[in-house]
Amino acid sequence: MAETCVEIKNLQKIFDVGKNAKLHAVDGISLKIEKGKTMGVVGESGCGKSTLGRTIIHQHKSTGGQIFFNGQDVTHVRGKELKKLKEHMQIVFQDPYSSLNPRYTVEATIKEPLQLCKRYTRAQVDDEVSRLMDLCGIDERLRLAYPHELDGGRRQRVGIARALALKPEFIVCDEPVSALDVSIQAQVLNLLMDLQEKEGLTYMFVTHDLSVVRHISHDIAVMYLGQLVETSPSKELFVNPLHPYTKALLSAIPTVDIHAPMERIQLKGEITSPINPKPGCRFASRCPYATEDCKKPQQLEEISPNHFVACCRVREINNL
Amino acid sequence: MSENTYLKVDNLVVEYTSDGEIVHAVNDVSLRLDKGKTLGLVGETGAGKTTIAKAILGILPTPPAKVRQGSIELNGRNLLELPEKEMLKVRGKEISMIFQDPMTALNPVISVGKQISEAVILHENVDKATAKKRGIEMLEMVGIPGSRYDEYPHQFSGGMKQRVVIAMALACEPQLLLADEPTTALDVTIQAQVLEMIAELRKKFNTSMILITHDLGVVAKVCDDVAVVYAGEVIESGSLEDIFDHPTHPYTVGLFNALPKLTGDEKRLSPVEGLPPDPTNLPEGCKFSPRCPYATEECRNGIPKMCETGKGHYVRCHFATKFASEGQGVK
Repeated sequence: MAETCVEIKNLQKIFDVGKNAKLHAVDGISLKIEKGKTMGVVGESGCGKSTLGRTIIHQHKSTGGQIFFNGQDVTHVRGKELKKLKEHMQIVFQDPYSSLNPRYTVEATIKEPLQLCKRYTRAQVDDEVSRLMDLCGIDERLRLAYPHELDGGRRQRVGIARALALKPEFIVCDEPVSALDVSIQAQVLNLLMDLQEKEGLTYMFVTHDLSVVRHISHDIAVMYLGQLVETSPSKELFVNPLHPYTKALLSAIPTVDIHAPMERIQLKGEITSPINPKPGCRFASRCPYATEDCKKPQQLEEISPNHFVACCRVREINNL
Repeated sequence: MSENTYLKVDNLVVEYTSDGEIVHAVNDVSLRLDKGKTLGLVGETGAGKTTIAKAILGILPTPPAKVRQGSIELNGRNLLELPEKEMLKVRGKEISMIFQDPMTALNPVISVGKQISEAVILHENVDKATAKKRGIEMLEMVGIPGSRYDEYPHQFSGGMKQRVVIAMALACEPQLLLADEPTTALDVTIQAQVLEMIAELRKKFNTSMILITHDLGVVAKVCDDVAVVYAGEVIESGSLEDIFDHPTHPYTVGLFNALPKLTGDEKRLSPVEGLPPDPTNLPEGCKFSPRCPYATEECRNGIPKMCETGKGHYVRCHFATKFASEGQGVK
């Protein structure tokens, strides 16, 4: 059994959004991420996938459930301990245009966490900056460049170098390549995979792009409106999706194979509101297989090894 | 050239002036579009795709933009020579555009219904009541209940706003639709819905379309012909089969190789190394030569001509015939 890096049990993040209005962004999610592996989290915009990542690294305070890091319960750590924990858990943001301070040079951006942790002398800080820039493929001549002088791909490399500065073990990648063009996107994805190999990093890769997630992830979790509907090893999920939502999602990806038969599962309607949701399966209103039973809360069930699905009709639908 | 050619763009050159520098946005672009067909314009950010569409519609901000040369013929009329008054009649009626971002393409203080009927009132000689009826019909056609005619954009979700924008564009049954990344801001399931809807509506009205996108998957689903744009030039054009089954220009091949696949087991992606060139300072010779793995002295010095490698399949590369017959070992 491989070592677990991050584990969450029944994690919940509910935002108060007005009188008697509770937004269930993350609603009872349990996941295990093994050391050195990548967990992809996919879902439509507004399904809570970014909130999930940010709650795990304590950018949001969780409202229920537990978070374990290297086997220790870190759900309620505070003060110095929290600061220490945050060194081990970092994040790479989606938009490399707004996540870098426009008044900081590349050097200053990468330097900041190194200075704040107070573990390095001034000379060591400079060496570390050079090492990180080299590691992330940023030319030394760009050391004093400002973000506006860089293109999206280079900016994202700076964002990655900053996240790596304190030698974290776990990194949440929140749509790190969504804002980049395909030719540049491939460069950044390769960098992230190389870094994982070199530094033994564990990733949680949040994205809505399913072909990217298939490429980079070992395991995939599919979210719908704050809940987990299916989780499975990456390859298995693409070959054998079991939840009706996953099936529809996968069939909707436009592929570049112009000779592939088109068998799209048409979904009616749009994602419903996550404010004060009704109990029961949240996908039911759009699901072609919905019945009365779907109005009861759904449990994740292990259908085949490591392949979990939250759907009461999963066996019927898939003839299992 | 087929007789059905509906839109003919020839040798279009567009430049922007900014801070005394000249940005070469579109350099000698020629395009053909047949009646009822869809042409996909593919390329990276800043390649000049949107500028081409805006030039066709005549809505380039002038200054700083300036059409240096070229002609845009729609049904035999050169749009660049039409007086603005005539152009007003073409815009929205014969040609209309779906803009990229549905969140900003709608006026937030006018109800969505009014925004749709506005075009109808402008172009068709009808009274307000008929225009409203038409607006409601359009809303229902794109799958929004007519009862929401008087609601405002903020009351709609992203996918629905995009449908309103589409309803607006189709309200006067245009002959040519310019769709600028119509689904980029949407989720995959909604994207699939919207694409299917556009296809249905086009069939109904026999509309021709130029689809601008960087998503090759969307092109594969929707387009009949494809033109790949790089640094303001069309570097390869042909039918969907030409481009997707026999990509020939090294950049087109690179684009396909850079995509993560949904099948297969490749460990690493093969990105196109380097960056798109700075449009204020384009390289001499072939604009792709600094990033091209096959570039020679010839490429760096001489601008390659469009070369027909198969019927209707054009490639702008010195080695087009060689690549077309031998391939580049498409990975």
